[in-house]
Amino acid sequence: MSRLITSTLLLCATVALSACQSLSSPVVRLDRQVNYGDAKSVELVTNEFGSTDLQMIAEKMVGSLLETGIFQGRPTVTISTVKNKTSEYIDTTNVMNSIQTTLVKSGKVRFVRSIAEMQQGVDELQRQNQSGMYKQTSTAKIGKMTAAKYTLEGELTSIVKQNASTKDVFYKFTLKMIDVEEGSIEWQDEKEIRKTSKR
Amino acid sequence: MIFAKKLIVALASTLALAAHAQHDAGTPVAVAAKVALRGDANGVRISEMRVVRRNDILIVQADLANSGNSDRTVFYRFRWLDNIGSQVGDGESWKQMGLLGQAQQTVKSVAPSSVVTDFRLEMNVER
Repeated sequence: MSRLITSTLLLCATVALSACQSLSSPVVRLDRQVNYGDAKSVELVTNEFGSTDLQMIAEKMVGSLLETGIFQGRPTVTISTVKNKTSEYIDTTNVMNSIQTTLVKSGKVRFVRSIAEMQQGVDELQRQNQSGMYKQTSTAKIGKMTAAKYTLEGELTSIVKQNASTKDVFYKFTLKMIDVEEGSIEWQDEKEIRKTSKR
Repeated sequence: MIFAKKLIVALASTLALAAHAQHDAGTPVAVAAKVALRGDANGVRISEMRVVRRNDILIVQADLANSGNSDRTVFYRFRWLDNIGSQVGDGESWKQMGLLGQAQQTVKSVAPSSVVTDFRLEMNVER
């Protein structure tokens, strides 16, 4: 009987101990070891623009766009400029790529080639139509592209403040969707991010 | 003998419950069913959750309240599910949110697609 009580108490103590152990949070911290981590973790290595900022901006903008119902009838959209007005080097194309990917996967909108992607499209059309190497029936015809109804324009700004002990960075990403024909802003939203670190 | 057995069962049940009963008492059962909480809530309760379908897209808002006086750091993300319970998309990024003592904050997210019919709020609370 006493052995039963002892073993049960031991088991209970083990369960209690395991319940008390603190759990790790999904964060990326500077470490000597190399690991394949969760790409969706909160990245806290420095307070410069990072993967979590990119992901949070993309999620907020996509959510806001889908919520408004502006994409009724699957309109065509293209990406225009995204200005980086911060003091950091940030590839803003990456932010727009994430937004575009999620929107395309939602099936609510059709994206057409942006200005940056246009030359590749023109080159391919010219190759098919002017090289003389393809059957006429199989070539993509020139002049059949669909133009964008809306264009997405954005900018990223930052305010940096620091003293001897603290550095505070405030990022603001603004995105606008403009009706190309009318020039009117049909949708606009912002994502604000504050990152504070000890120096 | 019978008393000893009862004591053992009660002790084991209490400890087993303590290992699993991680939600704050202020979180309604219906809300807790939608929350995948890792570890202890550390005094953070989800007082209310609002789910609405707008323009064929699921929108979720959850009110997180810190019932303690100490600040807490909450890590959270929404996991989107379709009508058979499969995950939709790659999953959201984790977000970090500071929750001051006795403060309440609302977290919101919008499903990435019309096929989403259900969700889970994954979260853990750091002391």
